[in-house]
Amino acid sequence: MIPMALTLPRTQTADLAGRAATMDEAAFRHLYDRTARPLRAYLMRSCGDLALADDLLQEAYLRMLRSGFEGEDDDHRKNYLYRIATNLLRDHFRRKRPESDEVPERDESPGHDEAVHIRSDVGGAMAELAPRDRQMLWLAYVEGASHQEIAKALGLRTASIRSMLFRARHRLAKQLQARGLRPELEVS
Amino acid sequence: MTTTSCSYEDAVTAAARSGDWSPELKAHRDGCLTCAELTLVVAALAADAEELAAIDTPLPDSALIWLRARLATRERQYQHATRAIVWVQRAAVAVALGVGLAFVPGLWNLVKGAFSSLDLSLPVSDLPRAAGSPLLVIVVSMLVLGGLALWELTVAQEN
Repeated sequence: MIPMALTLPRTQTADLAGRAATMDEAAFRHLYDRTARPLRAYLMRSCGDLALADDLLQEAYLRMLRSGFEGEDDDHRKNYLYRIATNLLRDHFRRKRPESDEVPERDESPGHDEAVHIRSDVGGAMAELAPRDRQMLWLAYVEGASHQEIAKALGLRTASIRSMLFRARHRLAKQLQARGLRPELEVS
Repeated sequence: MTTTSCSYEDAVTAAARSGDWSPELKAHRDGCLTCAELTLVVAALAADAEELAAIDTPLPDSALIWLRARLATRERQYQHATRAIVWVQRAAVAVALGVGLAFVPGLWNLVKGAFSSLDLSLPVSDLPRAAGSPLLVIVVSMLVLGGLALWELTVAQEN
């Protein structure tokens, strides 16, 4: 049963807008503290592997720092960070499987860290979707990204996001329903 | 129930995220498959995000990431700063080799002549005189030592 009145764990970054534009260590730590957990959740749900998500997380921040990108505010930096992370995910899936867009295999070996694959119904349902669908849904409904931001992050046309999102959402809903989660039951 | 895109989607998304449903919106959602699905998906993802964010596994250390970025920046700056020096060194090696090759036939004759007149029974201190030309010894020594110095400056430093 999924509680309906959940407040999304969105990254609260608007209050950071007034911070200095230059990225010193303190500003970086502040940005990291605010964004790392949500970003790791995004990476983890997209790739299904905590260790890999942590690697990609570090690489995303490293690339942001190395690029010298300062951004207007933390929202801007956050968007940039998600774009880097999405590119890293895309590279990862390309390297792993040239044909891409296939669901990554799960490591079912005994003793595998429980946290590595979240075995919740939602995690299972998400794992059945293509990586791009997972990323799109997460950005739209967890991070609250606009169609334009999603298009930018995923390298797609803004005009096609609405229909792609609709189809991805429909696929996820079917998967959730197949796991016994139905809209009528969840809606209070 | 409708199964296509719905004009209430934005409102339903906002309500599903905040939990703040107006009676009309709730009634609409209950009769619209698209909005019911949307509600299910938004709520499911919200719960999932909360679950993932609550994982105990500590995050990678931000100080280490910062340090790695600083080191990478310094390395890049160093590479950038020494690029000109490396090119000058390579050019010097190329010129030295060119000059050396130009003098190889003449030097070879000198060396051959010097070795033929070399008397190995003499003490080491008398070798330059025994070679017939102290200049030859100086030139050969400079070539060897110069070559070693250039190797040290270029190849050894790059390794």
